[in-house]
Amino acid sequence: MSYAYLFKYIIIGDTGVGKSCLLLQFTDKRFQPVHDLTIGVEFGARMITIDNKPIKLQIWDTAGQESFRSITRSYYRGAAGALLVYDITRRETFNHLASWLEDARQHANANMTVMLIGNKCDLAHRRAVSTEEGEQFAKENGLVFMEASAKTAQNVEEAFINTAGTIYKKIQDGVFDVSNEACSYGIKVGYGGNAGPSGGRDGVPAQGGACCS
Amino acid sequence: MKKMDLVSGYKGVVGLVFGNEDSNSNEDSYVERLLDCIKNGKLPEDRRNAMAELQSVVAESHSAQLAFGTMGFPILFGVLKERDDVEMVRGAVETLLSALTPITHTKSHKNEVQPAMLNADLLSRDEQNIALLLNLLEAILTIPRGITQLVDMLMDREVIRNEALLLLTYLTREAEEIQKILVFEGAFEKIFSIINEEGGSDGGVVVQDCLELLNNLIRTNASNQVLLRETIGFDSIISILKLRGSTYSFSQQKTINLLCVLETIRLLINGGSEADPAKQIDKSTNKTVLAQRKVLDHLLMLGVESQWASAAVRCAAFRCIGELVFGHRQNLETLASKFLGDELQLEPALNSILRIILRTSSVQEFIAADYVFKSFCEENTDGQKMLASTLIPQPLSMTHAPFEEDVNMSFGSMLLHGLALSEHDGDLETSCRAASVLSYVLKDNIQCKEKVLQIEIESPMPSLGTPEPLLHRMVKYLALAFSKKGKDGKSTQSYVQPIILKLLITWLSDCPNAVHSFLASRPHLTYLIELISNSDTTVCVRGLAAVLLGECVIFNKSVESGKDAFSIVDAISQKIGLTSYFQRIEEMQKSFVFSSAKPIQSHKPLTKTNDKSMSDVEDNEDDVASDHKNEDHPILAEIFDTQFVNFIKNLEVSIRDGIVNIYSHPKSNVSVIPAELEQRKDEADVDYIKRLKSFLEKQCSEIQDLLNRNSILAEDLANTGGGDSSQTEPRPSGGSERVQIEKLKRDLLEASQRVDMLKNENSKLENEVSSYKTLSAKIENDLKSLSDAYNSLEQANYHLENEVKALKNGGSTVGLDIEAIKAEAKEEAQKESEAELGDLLVCLGQEQSKVEKLSARLMELGEDVDALLEGIGDDMGAPEDDDDEDEDN
Repeated sequence: MSYAYLFKYIIIGDTGVGKSCLLLQFTDKRFQPVHDLTIGVEFGARMITIDNKPIKLQIWDTAGQESFRSITRSYYRGAAGALLVYDITRRETFNHLASWLEDARQHANANMTVMLIGNKCDLAHRRAVSTEEGEQFAKENGLVFMEASAKTAQNVEEAFINTAGTIYKKIQDGVFDVSNEACSYGIKVGYGGNAGPSGGRDGVPAQGGACCS
Repeated sequence: MKKMDLVSGYKGVVGLVFGNEDSNSNEDSYVERLLDCIKNGKLPEDRRNAMAELQSVVAESHSAQLAFGTMGFPILFGVLKERDDVEMVRGAVETLLSALTPITHTKSHKNEVQPAMLNADLLSRDEQNIALLLNLLEAILTIPRGITQLVDMLMDREVIRNEALLLLTYLTREAEEIQKILVFEGAFEKIFSIINEEGGSDGGVVVQDCLELLNNLIRTNASNQVLLRETIGFDSIISILKLRGSTYSFSQQKTINLLCVLETIRLLINGGSEADPAKQIDKSTNKTVLAQRKVLDHLLMLGVESQWASAAVRCAAFRCIGELVFGHRQNLETLASKFLGDELQLEPALNSILRIILRTSSVQEFIAADYVFKSFCEENTDGQKMLASTLIPQPLSMTHAPFEEDVNMSFGSMLLHGLALSEHDGDLETSCRAASVLSYVLKDNIQCKEKVLQIEIESPMPSLGTPEPLLHRMVKYLALAFSKKGKDGKSTQSYVQPIILKLLITWLSDCPNAVHSFLASRPHLTYLIELISNSDTTVCVRGLAAVLLGECVIFNKSVESGKDAFSIVDAISQKIGLTSYFQRIEEMQKSFVFSSAKPIQSHKPLTKTNDKSMSDVEDNEDDVASDHKNEDHPILAEIFDTQFVNFIKNLEVSIRDGIVNIYSHPKSNVSVIPAELEQRKDEADVDYIKRLKSFLEKQCSEIQDLLNRNSILAEDLANTGGGDSSQTEPRPSGGSERVQIEKLKRDLLEASQRVDMLKNENSKLENEVSSYKTLSAKIENDLKSLSDAYNSLEQANYHLENEVKALKNGGSTVGLDIEAIKAEAKEEAQKESEAELGDLLVCLGQEQSKVEKLSARLMELGEDVDALLEGIGDDMGAPEDDDDEDEDN
């Protein structure tokens, strides 16, 4: 149960792009071809290791349907990382990325790490969005990008772990003031293992106004 | 100015509303004016006032509700769509609520249309309206970071923190999404941090508030339970259970705090959602993790070892222990191997719990501790065997040793001791509690049932009798419990008989040997039948006794006459009546104990500490006991859990099937035609006939038996048809009387059939006689014509003689010739008539013999032949005489 850090993730994106399947593959290492529609949010957790430090990932898998947007938005601000998922076989899910990103920018804290995932890359024969287009969108919006498959597990581990790595690096770089617990960036310092450099006051970013009191 | 106007108008209307009902039109126009102002008003102030007044008038008046319904909805939803003026939105929602709330103070209009209902109907007709309201609700719920800020307030100054706690507790009672958001915002960590600060279970009411919020978050929320387990762990919860230091007295608040945290444990054990089978895994994982964190030790400490915990806490701890081990192999083993006490006097935890069951003065505690054994034994064959292995016949000195010496006793010794203990003081309470535990040990476990069947208990005074089987002793207690009850003169609510019956039913189920042992003593059956028919016992006891008797049918493998299934069925139908028998079972199923909603304990938040709540906690038992609305002890509803109720239901079906089966396939010695019905090769006819005869006799008696049964069944059927419950009292002699009557009827039928047959024969004979009569009449006619012919012949002869004389006198020459001719003619005529007469005589002789034969036969048949023949004789006399004369001639 002991961890050096705890990171909160959210998974967002259109309905049916495979958010719940990505989570299931990551936490349970299995694939479920038919998955119930997610209602509201669901929760999953897993321990990973980065830089020899145990890191707990708390992952909230949100419902993609428009009608749940108002509920799922409540989860943006408290998250350290977000997996923004689209389906490479359905063009419209890619087209909607901009509005998802805007939602995230509006409701999340500015330091949230967003990873863009083009899911279902095992279905290459039905591809509707090219890898280059994905890369292009990520580059324009400052996101990390990879294509993955919840079915074959390709890049699933990497997606979650790379995101954690990026967050971890931000902590190392002093982007977050992790010593101040009242300030929620979706990061918690644990007791197990060395928490690493405790970001000093001087590490508080310019947008510190988001800090609640 | 406008506002003033409206107010005065309104007041006038209100006056009218309560005065008379003719003001409807006034009211209509007033509501219309208000709505118009809301829709078209220029100043926000005016619109708000109009809204406030509309709300109050709609809340108070029927006709205003009606008027609002006809025109108000579009306007108010317009306001909701705008959403620019919060005050207006609130007013609109409140007005809508008022329009949908029935006005209760007009009681006289029961049959009148409820405008509120009409309005609700109108509102729901347009889907857009509902969607709009839902949107509004969502908007309220997700005011950006509203919940986040509330959760953050948990870390604020104490005053704010405490208020935030209450508010959050209120918000999380139902809404799953809010529960999740709270957890996402780190509510768990904050809750545990406050509890820690406040001193855990020793803390004040804030700890209780925290625990209630915690319970809200996990009650029906599997997702939150997983999060708690996976990221925070259960240690923080278990540490609240821990009794710290040497606090030997429990404050009232501490008791309540402990009850709250025990509820938390229970919620975790039960998993987030009952229905979803996928969550079974979560449930089991929760149990595993809780046990790993040593929750059992703390629960046992609270339930068994701590002398300071209140009864309510001990009971809750027992419930948790039960649920923790239920269906969980590992935890079952942990409990079975757990020892309590200090090093000098270590004792298995299960023994300690059994001692509590046998000794506690609190019925609630008995039930709670009993639940541990129930959970331990359920689908735990090995555990049952382990417990049963210590059940060995006890030397008398042990069985009757004083209770205080039981520390070194084995589980079995203690249980047997408990079973037999009551004999001394005549109080069957202890025996009945031990019986309850024993029933769990035996449940669904044939090996344990067989083993315990072997146990004999020595009679209390060895000189007075030989040891008797434990099973028989239990039946004895059953009878004893009833006679004790009778002595009191009133039917006390008791659970003693039902619990003993439950043990016996559990024992006999699927266990022919137990049935055999039960029936081995003839009075058992008689007693059971008496119990079923006894109207002084409770519905429950009668029903259970009926089920027990039913088991004697369906699990009966005996072939011994009088103890086999057929005899039991006969006894049921003759002494109770099948209808009344099944009625007993049905009545029980319908009774409170069986039909009441089963355990799903509703969530009742504990009240804040004050004198009253404490007495609530302590006096829970009295509440339960005084809350009886029926003749059965309220405890029974707990003892007869869902499983037992279902078990009884299934048994009832089997019993019905079993009994029908027995009636449709009766025990039969002869009904199947044996192969040897054919005559054997070297069998003499006489022997064969004898054999057939005895076969027929057997069949006959069996038919008699079947008729007996049939008539009893018919009687039952007739009673059922009557539908009158007073008619269904068993009439023990009815059956046999009926049979007697049936027999007489049959005799009568047989006799009348014989009479008919004789009548037939008689008429046949009469026919014959009449045909003979006509025959003889014909013959008579023949005779007559014959004699006529003869007479005419004679006459002719005479004429001829005269002629001859005249001729003689006339001429002698011809005289010779005439003489000769005369002689010749005479000779000829004589010859002719002689031949004819001979024929006639032959014919007559034949007829005579025929008549003789018939007469003999008639005489044989009892007919008066002479009388019959009288007439005939007269008629026939004359020609006969003629004949005679002729002969003489």
